[in-house]
Amino acid sequence: MSSRANVINRVVLTVLGLLLLAAGGLGFALSVGAFGASRATYPVLSQEVSTFPDGRPWFWWAVVGVLLLIAVLALLWLLTQVKADRTTRLDLTTNARDGYTTLHATALTNAVEDEALGIAGVTSATANVHEHRGRHALLRVELADSADMGEVRTRLEDEVVAHLREGVGDPHFPVTIELRPGASRTPQRSII
Amino acid sequence: MTAANWVTRVVSALLALALLIGSLLAVVEIVAAALGRAPALIPYPEWTSWLRTHSWNDWIVNAVLGGLVVLGLLFLVLAFRRGKPASLALRSRSGGVDVTASRRSVEKSLATAAARTTGIAGASASVSRRTARVDARTVARSEPGIREEVESAVRGRLDSLGLERRMRTRVDLTMKDTR
Repeated sequence: MSSRANVINRVVLTVLGLLLLAAGGLGFALSVGAFGASRATYPVLSQEVSTFPDGRPWFWWAVVGVLLLIAVLALLWLLTQVKADRTTRLDLTTNARDGYTTLHATALTNAVEDEALGIAGVTSATANVHEHRGRHALLRVELADSADMGEVRTRLEDEVVAHLREGVGDPHFPVTIELRPGASRTPQRSII
Repeated sequence: MTAANWVTRVVSALLALALLIGSLLAVVEIVAAALGRAPALIPYPEWTSWLRTHSWNDWIVNAVLGGLVVLGLLFLVLAFRRGKPASLALRSRSGGVDVTASRRSVEKSLATAAARTTGIAGASASVSRRTARVDARTVARSEPGIREEVESAVRGRLDSLGLERRMRTRVDLTMKDTR
């Protein structure tokens, strides 16, 4: 699930909502005689409208074109609902003439998760690289109820994020850390 | 993802599917009509004659228009409602790093903090954008000033989180049913 889908849904629902509101509102205005009392008694499909395509063979093909466009946009909208904006590979190529460098996102995220799990109080860690409004990493960290939030944050920001940025070769790589305090009472990992 | 986002996601998927099927059906009917065939799936000649025999001020036409307005408003409500946040922003310490705390875990954490107060048998918490509300159940004979103690525990936990926006706290106490 992606945040891009949420943005697209809001935009499309706003457009459709406004169109329906305008259509319904104009129809009501017509029915109460806002455009002339006589027009309220006109049939919904007037003679002029129903005979408009007669003698215009292009009309229905233009309608087909518009309908196909709507179908394609609806399909894309439908696919947006199930498509995640996670990235599986990171292109680290600096100069294509010297060759291409690709980093598997899972190699990076596994390393990040392992390092985060090494911090006292962290019971679970999940990392992903997303591609929405530019690349960024999302690190979700579950904390034991007894965890020192300040200490965990410091180590995550100073160590884990620093190493992640070293890995991608970008000292300003954007990172979002989602902390889940009190997610579990006892750490899943223990030192033997 | 919040419950509000799930509802929007499901409605959007259904609407996209309806638009896709509807537009393809209409294309099939136009092509069939161009080839001189009878309506394949949609009885559009009946629909056309219905539209020709009903005027704008007919009650059934008004009912359909009312339905369009209501549907349009529902879509706008879905598009603009904010609901409870999935996560709360924490104060940023370093550039390029956004730190958040998931709302559910903050609620759980506040409930735990409140429940640890002496005289409290259990607690639940709910967090909105600006307010943290804690419902605590006291044991039969609770000490005076227990509300202040719960509030202090909840505030302490919120301070330790370092939320970007200061949150109001509200504590409601109920006596635990000892029957």
